[in-house]
Amino acid sequence: MSVSLSARNIVKRYGGVVALSDGNLDVHSGEVVALIGANGSGKSTMSKVINGVVVLDGGQLLLDDKPVRFSSPQAARKMGIATVFQELSLVSKMTVADNIWLTREPLKSSGMIDRKLMWEKTEALLDLFSGTFKADLKPATLVSALHPDEKQIVEILKAISLNPRILILDEATASLDSRQVERLFELVKRWKAEGKAIVFVSHRMEEIFRIADRYSVLRNGKTVGQGDIKDITEKDLIQLMTEKEKVFQFTKAASGEDTSGLDHPIYLEVENLTTETLRGISLKVRQGELLGIGGLQGQGQRDLLLALFGDIPYEGKIRIKGEVVRFKHPRQAMRKKLALVPGDRAKEGLLYIRSILDNFLLPSWQNYGFPLKMKLAKRDALTISERLSLVMAGLMAPVSSLSGGNAQKVVIGKWLLRDPDCYLLDDPTKGVDVNTKAEFYGLLTELSQQGKSILFYSSDDDELIGLCDRVIVLHDGKIRAELQGASLTKENLIAASMGVSNGGEA
Amino acid sequence: MRKFSISPPVAAILLAIVLFLLSGFLPNGFGNDINVAIAQATNIVRLAVFLGVIAAGQTLVIISGFEGIDLSAGAVVTLAAILTYVTVKGEDDKVLLALLISLAVGALIGFINGLGITFLKISPFVMTLGMSGVVTGLIIIINHGNVSGKVAPIMTRLIARPLSPDIPIPNAIIIWIIFGFLMWLLLERSTFGKHLFAIGVNRVTAKLSGVNVTATNLAVYSLAGALAGFGGFLLVGNTGVVFINLGQPFLFPSIAAVAVGGTLLSGGKGSYWGTMAGAIVLTLITSLLTTMQMPDSVRRMVLGATLLVMISIYGRQRGFRQ
Repeated sequence: MSVSLSARNIVKRYGGVVALSDGNLDVHSGEVVALIGANGSGKSTMSKVINGVVVLDGGQLLLDDKPVRFSSPQAARKMGIATVFQELSLVSKMTVADNIWLTREPLKSSGMIDRKLMWEKTEALLDLFSGTFKADLKPATLVSALHPDEKQIVEILKAISLNPRILILDEATASLDSRQVERLFELVKRWKAEGKAIVFVSHRMEEIFRIADRYSVLRNGKTVGQGDIKDITEKDLIQLMTEKEKVFQFTKAASGEDTSGLDHPIYLEVENLTTETLRGISLKVRQGELLGIGGLQGQGQRDLLLALFGDIPYEGKIRIKGEVVRFKHPRQAMRKKLALVPGDRAKEGLLYIRSILDNFLLPSWQNYGFPLKMKLAKRDALTISERLSLVMAGLMAPVSSLSGGNAQKVVIGKWLLRDPDCYLLDDPTKGVDVNTKAEFYGLLTELSQQGKSILFYSSDDDELIGLCDRVIVLHDGKIRAELQGASLTKENLIAASMGVSNGGEA
Repeated sequence: MRKFSISPPVAAILLAIVLFLLSGFLPNGFGNDINVAIAQATNIVRLAVFLGVIAAGQTLVIISGFEGIDLSAGAVVTLAAILTYVTVKGEDDKVLLALLISLAVGALIGFINGLGITFLKISPFVMTLGMSGVVTGLIIIINHGNVSGKVAPIMTRLIARPLSPDIPIPNAIIIWIIFGFLMWLLLERSTFGKHLFAIGVNRVTAKLSGVNVTATNLAVYSLAGALAGFGGFLLVGNTGVVFINLGQPFLFPSIAAVAVGGTLLSGGKGSYWGTMAGAIVLTLITSLLTTMQMPDSVRRMVLGATLLVMISIYGRQRGFRQ
């Protein structure tokens, strides 16, 4: 079984956003290729192109030196390409065995599903990871009862049950513990020896150096380096991932005021904050400070902001202006003049079928008396929409009629109306067009000059470096590094994100 | 069809008017006599009041989303009617007490619905269906000793009679118009109403915008119960008698009226004025078919078909929640 896949000059656009402009990848039988890149560099798009989840806009895919075009994941699967998805693709109300063999159930001659055979085959697969499970894992166990790591393993088994020629592991180790990673790596070596080709997408430097034979680095949608892993060092790899050219001109507060923020009183103080994903976070934010939160996605940034806003339970201490607070519901946080722009604007930030007016005023209706003073409400909403230069048909138009950038303006606008002291922003520029981004940067600078404290998580490292005076980098639920002044460089930011031990404090 | 945009309440009212005008051509219709026509129209609207009030609570729970529905409304109507009947015993000065009891008992039953739905995470369909059974059982227990009572004269005067001999508008319609205005205030001009729509669309967004989703949900089921109680109070004022099956026939029309009125059954969008229009359409169709001496089976088929046609015209039902 010999196989080779090469992707040449791949182009992929999502609307106006170019996710990949020149993606290249070569993988052959018996090797592991690490696909590496910072946030938003196009890694996941690259793996989605290879496994047929997205259709490419340009470039060429060659399978065994013959051009191929996958119209669907099923088409790619038929050619022997299987993917372990990072976003789990399991049906939670079905059993482990049902999930693994979904649509490929072994049948008896009568046409009924051969449950016994299916369970035996599942047992055989589960044996690959035997001894690494916390509890007994049976083919008949419901997926909904599994821990995240066990789900991830079922996901891996599902992919391997296809007996693929090419296996894509997309962040497959993220939720596994060290023993399970160890076992997976043993298996990867075995699969390699069997002649499978493996694409390994990971954020963990240490794992990349342990398992990969070759690397391919993406930066801003372009492949900027390929080669053998033994020929490169961790430091050079990070250098490759770090781009030199800046896309944006960021306008920080005038340099004279740059440091004056440091004399402002402390607004928010967090001590040993612990949740399901956070493992003891302590930080201080001053009035008028724009504190950046960096790190790879899903390292606890979301939990930090939600805990501060009273949406999820936590342990530890939070002080606002020296006073200890313990919010049990967002509205208590709102009374203390906090505001949250959540990470998923469609699911968490907006009422899609309701009007722009209703969305703007949702947190503020209490202030408009009874019967609600609609004229005043409309005037206030109009003022905010003008301040944000919102492009809309009218205040009564539904939010669903707005573009992504304009919809995000509504999410921010509903808080501006309340004039909070502290903004918690969860990746507010994600999926937003370039012009709107520039407007947001202006707004953030303006707010911090007005003395508002801002906690700003962004998956875009350039934004953090360009806008913030100080950036904390989260990794595995902990603050890995605190970067400011001369140490706030892209190299340090990426190194700390990847959990490189000497990264961070310069 | 998608470009054809007319708001559902307007569509429902237009349908009602067209049907009514056509009914003039029936052999026993109003023909050319404008006075008879007005009298007939007034009577139909008067009959629609009871369905309309009972459907008010239904409108609220359906707007609150997440499969929100109140299947206990019919049983609560009957219970409130019986309680009113036995409390009043023909005395005018007990009427206010009876009204308060109807509202309180309805609200209590609704509150229990709300508790089950909010805290035990029972689906509204199952919770209120179960509650309907419990309340019906309760009615049978009360009714076993043969309820003795009487409606007070003032109730008949207030509900069944016209405002004054000169103005032939029944009081029930006046009550309904005031009631409709209050419902509009509640839905469109109160913080509660705004929060209600918000939880109907997206509870995560609502919570992260400071809406107390739990309290709003409890309040809406309590309010729906109280409104069903009010419906029972009005209904007995009109019929003057009570029986075990008084409220149940209003249950499915109350849901149908909400749907015909253009309220999204998946929640988050709708109006009470649409429900009023829906109640008038359904009452009109029923009364026309009765006039045409159609058997009950045909009436049911036509009502069912109307519901299907109206909703498919609106074409706005969302199959799945995001």
